[in-house]
Amino acid sequence: MSNPPELLNFRAIFSIANATRFIQVAESLGVFALLLIVVISASIIAPGFFTYTNLTNTLIIASITAVTGLGMTFAIAMGGFDLSVGSVQVLTAIVVTSLLSVIDPPLAILGALLTGLALGLLNGALISKLRLPAFVVTFGMMSIVRGVALLVTQGQSVMVTKHIEFGLLNNGKILGLPVPFIIMMIVFVVLSALLKHTPFGRHACAIGGNRGAAIVSGVSIDRVTIAVFGLVGVTAAISGVMLSSQLMIVDATLGTGFELQAITVSVLGGTSLSGGHGNLVGTVFAALLLATIASALNILKVVSFYQYLALGILLIFALAIDTARRAFIAKSLLSRA
Amino acid sequence: MDLSETANRKIDGQPSYGISLLSFLTRYYIQSLLVVSVVILGAVNPYFRTMANLENILLQASFAGIGAAGMTLLIVSGAFDLSVAGLLGLSGVLISELLPSLGVVLTVVAALSFGVLLGLLNGLVVTKLRIPAFIATLGMMNVYLALAFIWTQGSRVISVSDPDFNILGTGTLIGVLPIPFLVMIIAYLVCYGILNRSVYGRCLRAVGSSEIAARTAGLPVDLIRILAFAIVGGCTALAGVFLTAELSSASAIMATGYELTVIAVVVIGGTSLKGGEGTLFGSFTGALFFAVISSALNILNVAAYWQYVVTGVFLISALGVQALRSYILVE
Repeated sequence: MSNPPELLNFRAIFSIANATRFIQVAESLGVFALLLIVVISASIIAPGFFTYTNLTNTLIIASITAVTGLGMTFAIAMGGFDLSVGSVQVLTAIVVTSLLSVIDPPLAILGALLTGLALGLLNGALISKLRLPAFVVTFGMMSIVRGVALLVTQGQSVMVTKHIEFGLLNNGKILGLPVPFIIMMIVFVVLSALLKHTPFGRHACAIGGNRGAAIVSGVSIDRVTIAVFGLVGVTAAISGVMLSSQLMIVDATLGTGFELQAITVSVLGGTSLSGGHGNLVGTVFAALLLATIASALNILKVVSFYQYLALGILLIFALAIDTARRAFIAKSLLSRA
Repeated sequence: MDLSETANRKIDGQPSYGISLLSFLTRYYIQSLLVVSVVILGAVNPYFRTMANLENILLQASFAGIGAAGMTLLIVSGAFDLSVAGLLGLSGVLISELLPSLGVVLTVVAALSFGVLLGLLNGLVVTKLRIPAFIATLGMMNVYLALAFIWTQGSRVISVSDPDFNILGTGTLIGVLPIPFLVMIIAYLVCYGILNRSVYGRCLRAVGSSEIAARTAGLPVDLIRILAFAIVGGCTALAGVFLTAELSSASAIMATGYELTVIAVVVIGGTSLKGGEGTLFGSFTGALFFAVISSALNILNVAAYWQYVVTGVFLISALGVQALRSYILVE
């Protein structure tokens, strides 16, 4: 990945932007290469992995994680993050499932998305208006929203009984591609456009890159923060709707540890926790990687608890790489000065 | 009470103002809140003021309280540990495995050393790999939970029925003070000594106020933080010993949500999340306050699920109160 000509060019026009872009491309390629290796070795050692059904399933699971991961990438680029996405996912899944028994699917989905938006906006408002740390606010919200989910279901499961066609959101195919994958691609395209080509995205990155400078240049920190957390809430709600259409029966204990997955795919995909830039392509690849590993472990009949272990270790590993990358950038800047 | 006064004066580092009601309430808001809620609940509900209930409150307070003692020191140094729920579950499982062969004393010693070791590991991951503490420990929580799950082959509950061991959780001194509560008092006295009367405590505060300044002054910042993580690990394992003894069983998920409660207890007690200052007396009161509220919810027959909502709301509003409090104190 660091072939001589590119490296030369990289040294010649030295700027943070270039260094960041170079590392971003390298990281996307890195995760992609890792993904290829895992897919190839899984196909060899796990018979039944490289089948149409299994690949479709893996793609669906990856898409559900990726959607929230993409939102999380936005938040991390802004220098924040959201620990409440797992709870928001389960609450919105419950909302859409319950609403389906009274209203039409489009309205039920709208209801779930609005719930996610409202919770995200609440997070953002608490963080920006009361100046509370994002970590604690979303940590507290994680508990509150989970409690609300348990309260509305009274600990029982909720099932989709009417409008069974809701399941098409999961098993449907468009041009041979599973619908969840299409949904994920749409979210990806919209968020990429938002991040790279709108003032909103640039402001979010500016806040993550240098908060003080962003304030001085007149970026409305509060508004951008609230909007970004609203966005994360919506992506979590989309994941919730997707989860509900996948399972068709949901309860309030789902989605624990989902926040960890979302953060892992963002960081593994090359979005630095220090903020300032978001690597959305990397997030998608990392979500695919995570789902592939899980599916391979499933086929090999490895007990599911090892997947927790794998997730934890993968997260620590990704973070360690993130640190090394930051140290590398800092060193490059120092040598330039 | 003079312990508390010195504690608060020292930590706040503020000159004393006149004893106006406002400044008293600002300074001792959690203590006032505790007294008011106990008085109201005791007056309203006859069951609340029974000896059995009060004893139960002290017992429940000690599980979160013991963990919060260590966590206060760690938060003063400017870090967190979210892995405590996994760590506690894993030590519980370890206790259940070791107890039949090792006997009570050795098992407790082994569990505490195990907790300290895992704490050291957390500290190493945070400081040496330079990963932000909240996310590194979130990852470690997954690792510990997974290990506990693998060890117990799922969320199997292992019974721990050694009468000598169970007395640690159920025994009382002079019939009212549960043993875990006495140990909690000792833990707070020890941590108070560490934080306010030792060189290491000053180092903790220095690192928490400004890591760069501490580094420039030549303090071994990494070592100081790693030790703080080890203290949290030890305290959590200690809480694990009493929880296992009280439940007379252990499982991987025996402490789900423990990290949230512990951090909420510390924050509601008045320790700033920014690091650099902290009050152990506040954490102590915070633990009692949480136990009182959860006992009240039980007595009033509120669905158990409300606990999640209440804990989260308290955590967030405690931060708001803290902001308001520092504003008033500065005025």
